[in-house]
Amino acid sequence: MIGGKNVLFTLAFALVPAIASAQQKPTKPAKKPSSMTGMPGMNGMPADSGRRKPGAKPAPAMHDTSSMAMGSMSMPIPMPAGMPMIPGLVGLKPPVGEFLPAKGVDPRTLPLANPTQIARLKDGDTLDLTAMLVRRVINGRAFAMYGYNGQVPGPLIRVLQNATIVVRYHNRIDLPSTVHWHGVRLDNHNDGVPGITQDSVMPGGSFVYHVHFPDAGIYWYHPHVREDIEQAMGLFGNVRVDSPDRDYYSPVNAEQTLVLDDLLINGDTLIPFGKDAPDFALMGRVGNVLLVNGEPRYSLTVKRGAVVRFFVTNVASSRTYNLSFSGAPIKVVAGDVSKFEHEERVPSVVIAPAERYVVEVAFDKPGRYALVNAIQAINHYAGEFAAEVDTLGFVTVGATPAAPSYAKQFATLRSNAKVTQDIDRYRQYFGKAPDKRLTLTVSISGLPLSLPLATVQFMNVDTAYYAPVEWVDGMPDMNWLSTSKQVRWIIRDDATGKENMDIDWHARQGSVIKLRIFNDPKSFHPMQHPIHLHGQRMLVVARDGVRTKNLVWKDTAIIPVGSTVDLLIDASNPGAWMLHCHIAEHLGSGMMTVLRVDPAEAGGR
Amino acid sequence: MLGGWLGRVLLAATVVAAADRAGPFDISLFNTQNAPDAHGQARLVFGQSPFGVAVTADGRASYDVRITAAGLPDPSTLGRYSAYVAWAVSTDLSRWDRLGTVTNGDNTVGRAEVNKFLLVVAAESTATSPHTGPTVLHGTSPSGWLQSFLSHPLFRGIPP
Ligand SMILES: [Cu+2]
Repeated sequence: MIGGKNVLFTLAFALVPAIASAQQKPTKPAKKPSSMTGMPGMNGMPADSGRRKPGAKPAPAMHDTSSMAMGSMSMPIPMPAGMPMIPGLVGLKPPVGEFLPAKGVDPRTLPLANPTQIARLKDGDTLDLTAMLVRRVINGRAFAMYGYNGQVPGPLIRVLQNATIVVRYHNRIDLPSTVHWHGVRLDNHNDGVPGITQDSVMPGGSFVYHVHFPDAGIYWYHPHVREDIEQAMGLFGNVRVDSPDRDYYSPVNAEQTLVLDDLLINGDTLIPFGKDAPDFALMGRVGNVLLVNGEPRYSLTVKRGAVVRFFVTNVASSRTYNLSFSGAPIKVVAGDVSKFEHEERVPSVVIAPAERYVVEVAFDKPGRYALVNAIQAINHYAGEFAAEVDTLGFVTVGATPAAPSYAKQFATLRSNAKVTQDIDRYRQYFGKAPDKRLTLTVSISGLPLSLPLATVQFMNVDTAYYAPVEWVDGMPDMNWLSTSKQVRWIIRDDATGKENMDIDWHARQGSVIKLRIFNDPKSFHPMQHPIHLHGQRMLVVARDGVRTKNLVWKDTAIIPVGSTVDLLIDASNPGAWMLHCHIAEHLGSGMMTVLRVDPAEAGGR
Repeated sequence: MLGGWLGRVLLAATVVAAADRAGPFDISLFNTQNAPDAHGQARLVFGQSPFGVAVTADGRASYDVRITAAGLPDPSTLGRYSAYVAWAVSTDLSRWDRLGTVTNGDNTVGRAEVNKFLLVVAAESTATSPHTGPTVLHGTSPSGWLQSFLSHPLFRGIPP
């Protein structure tokens, strides 16, 4: 592996021998697998699973030109404005076959995707949920993609807290799939994880999920198979679980669900996915077309002074957002699995993949408020930060005053005594020694690079600094070429040295686990990781030794590079539960483990 | 030409390796001739944020700066000064953000919200005076490692 304090020197040695891979040579066309079940990572574990041996040569580059709209060798990757590809990378391709949905199908023959529709379900109701091929038109260009029930995002399921619904899932896409109910503390066998709680549902197959919703808030569902493809291509939807308490949220003039997503498009072409393994394995696929609710331009019209509650979900593969509304005041109300102890005014909303936040925004002046993602990118050639602002849409505010006015309620920052009382039961554990310590890192071997020495040297020096959070992909060419065949993202158990699925981690139902996660900056490409735990709820009790002042129950927590984060897990729900990075390509490169919560009556370990 | 580039790369690499690459939050402080016995370290800690990562609306990290210092002489020994003050200084010196006073021991000073900055501890007339006094400790934010490579032949023609 590449790591440690000599990273700058070892990297050069790791990359230079890869010159031998000589991917510039023409190669034979890829042999098409007889069925999708032959695709690593398609039926259970990801392509990684520790099979690749250190030093093993990467597979030769394959291209399947039939699925490409342009010349095979020259598929360029969109670069940040003003940045050409790194010298030495031009013309290279990742060493994987290419995949796009609905190969060989004319997108014009597919049903046009609809916007999301609300599915209100009562306790005991049944929903048929079908993953299917759809045609989506983005900026005037039609693409074959996926959708649930023909909708992108999928149906917005609305239920009352403590409801149980039956979902009859039908897989009508061209890949095996499942449905994972993200953040929901449901029965383990409905969790949708192939190889752990069920087998993948093959194309044409079905599966019945019984989904119980014990917690109010905003949740989401998505496949747990090749998320880098399936989720990115449109398989995601929200579940809004309403509290029976009518005063659960403050009164507002309007409510909106915002699903944030991005797509990587070059001109008229979707950049294909790795067929046999995820590409963009280093940073994850960071799109260049930002979407809200599946569309490039979000718009909302409200009256002057309106207070709007937004339920925000980040379903992007890798991008972390920093959202704001042209200076309109923002109040954060709730996170993944609960409300905050105290509402807070915030300058912006930072949301990593898979996280949810509920925020309220007051639009006091007539006119147009841009919804923006404003971040600081890094120009690696110039060695400087560069402010980037993406406009996701607009809120247009009319001159007529909103009635009733909720200005007073908006100005009040509520404290949620019930949340605090619930959390109070766990405070005795905040200071305890960690029960489990995990370190996040990466190992890389055999990147198929043939680089001039000066480029290697540039990259060595450039990697001397990593931002705690990388907001955009500053080197998409380099990132594209990395696949899970070369890159293995690692969750390492400090106590045993075991990694990823080899970690044997048990807890007893009803126990409270203090988990300390350290994101080791001393690796070739450290990056922030949104770590998600299935089926339980957790508190971020401290970051870098500083106690969190305002707590909220979460299922996903961002771990910046170099940070140490203490999580307190309420291990209330028996079963085998994944803990993994929610950057789709990191998950696809092995970054997962399992927490087994043994039923209380079984004694456990 | 490549020789000069290579030399610079190796020098930079050696310096980074020597610093043990402590991570994106650590700053080594170096003393000056004004206080040859002084030494110190700083650490950047994200400010409290409901999102775990504190940033400004335009995406700059918002850090509480912690400084551990030792060997600082009484500021009055350097002239008519009564306090040591930590400053976050933009790399073009156009912006001097006062972080707070520093004494020997652990100090949590103010909040730095600058992408790249010099961390300067200087003796000042008072804790609230503008910066005029002598520097005793200095360091750079970890992002200071980002260097421009635009003068290298490989990157010629790339607009800055
Ligand atoms: Cu990750």
